[in-house]
Amino acid sequence: MSKQALKFSNVSKEFAFQEDRTIKDIIPSLFSGKGWARKHLVFSNMNFEINQGETVGIVGKNGAGKSTLLKLIAGVTKPSTGEVAVTGRVAPVIELTAGFHHELTGLENIYLNAAILGLHKAEVEERLDAIIEFSELSEFINVPVKKYSTGMFMRLGFSIAIQMDAPIILLDEVLAVGDADFQEKCLVYLEGIKKAKDKTIIFVSHDEESVSRFCDRALLIHDKKLLTDDTPRKIFKQYNAL
Amino acid sequence: MNFLQTLTLPFKSYKFLLYQLTQKEIKARYKQSFVGYAWIIVNPLAQLLVYTFVFSMVFRTVSVDVPYPLFVFSVLIPWTFFQTSIQASTNSLVSNSSLLKKVAFPREVIPYATVLSKVVDLIFSYVVFFIFLVIYGVPFHLSSLFFVLIFLIQFILTISISLISAAANLFYRDVQYLVGLILMLWMYLTPVVYPLAMVPEKYISLYKLNPMVGLVEGYRAIFFGYDLPIQDLGWSLGSSCILFLLAYAFFKKVEPIFADIV
Repeated sequence: MSKQALKFSNVSKEFAFQEDRTIKDIIPSLFSGKGWARKHLVFSNMNFEINQGETVGIVGKNGAGKSTLLKLIAGVTKPSTGEVAVTGRVAPVIELTAGFHHELTGLENIYLNAAILGLHKAEVEERLDAIIEFSELSEFINVPVKKYSTGMFMRLGFSIAIQMDAPIILLDEVLAVGDADFQEKCLVYLEGIKKAKDKTIIFVSHDEESVSRFCDRALLIHDKKLLTDDTPRKIFKQYNAL
Repeated sequence: MNFLQTLTLPFKSYKFLLYQLTQKEIKARYKQSFVGYAWIIVNPLAQLLVYTFVFSMVFRTVSVDVPYPLFVFSVLIPWTFFQTSIQASTNSLVSNSSLLKKVAFPREVIPYATVLSKVVDLIFSYVVFFIFLVIYGVPFHLSSLFFVLIFLIQFILTISISLISAAANLFYRDVQYLVGLILMLWMYLTPVVYPLAMVPEKYISLYKLNPMVGLVEGYRAIFFGYDLPIQDLGWSLGSSCILFLLAYAFFKKVEPIFADIV
């Protein structure tokens, strides 16, 4: 029954870290033989598998490479070596509102953002009511989003992302969405998805409580490698001792 | 995926995204300013006024057989399209960097949408141009319908340069200033404000290497009923297609590291 949703085999990721952004800087460094960029190893030798229906937390200190891991899953960056295999569409709920344009209305932004996340016109229209209803913004849907409060902004972004119906959902510290009521609503919704067991959720957070409440399993990234793959309780015990 | 599938992907699977991004560019421009679309017309008209003053009143050496403002306006519009498209595309990836880091889709959709959104400006400007034709009493030539064909060549050329400059600007932000400079020089090396006939004979073959020469001459030919410069247009078409293949190959080669360097 448990189909594989994603698999990392021997993945390592190196960044070409560009220090010189202008020609003025780059010309001297070319002559001094420094090259155009410095290599920076984020992590190496990552091996893990996540099955369909699992909810997995990613835990690690700042700069450990959690965001890079999500980028690899989302397919926006390629591993330096190794292979990342992902089955199905990925809905990144990372900084939900990256695709928003401030001058456009909430409704226009729903279309835009859903298109960015890979939906076609008919698919957006099918989900439109559900998105607006979940966001609780039907009164303000024709208002430019620049007039929205931060909470409203996040609510709309979150509502679009979760209505994508993608088999893999990436959540990056996003449960700090809106007010306490809306947060609770999101958690309840995500728990519903989790119970249905047909979607995979990857959840990045520092918050011990929400990871423990929400995830069956967690990965601890530390010191450029995957340190442990265990239950959230054990992971946080080790994390807090680091 | 083979080459053709990759090439047409933005127009098939990502058609809706391309449409939405183009619409965003157009709407955003319209909503941000008080007079909105008026700016699209005001800008070339102001340029037109200055060129007319400088070249037909101060220098008085430029002789053309249609009213000078029409002579300039007919090609200033496609030139403005060329210039604004490339300038906007150069910044398009940088200004969408948050998207590059989050969601996977063929990145060329972003510069494509930027260039497509400028077509709207072009259409608006040509409406004004046709009003000018009527005011000056210049007859409408049926050959004007060839516009679409010439514009298609220009579109390929514009996209090619946009792909290169957009990707390059992600690596080095100097590119945007360089592009501005090159475009300014390029305009004076293209017969926009003076006729091709004024270019000295001994430089003409070198001068015509510029693919915009054939295009600009082509536009004038169809609007004012001259003979089409078939040979020059052929060169524009050939060089634009080759440039597109090179630009596309370059763009696709560097595309996988966009998210790492923004």
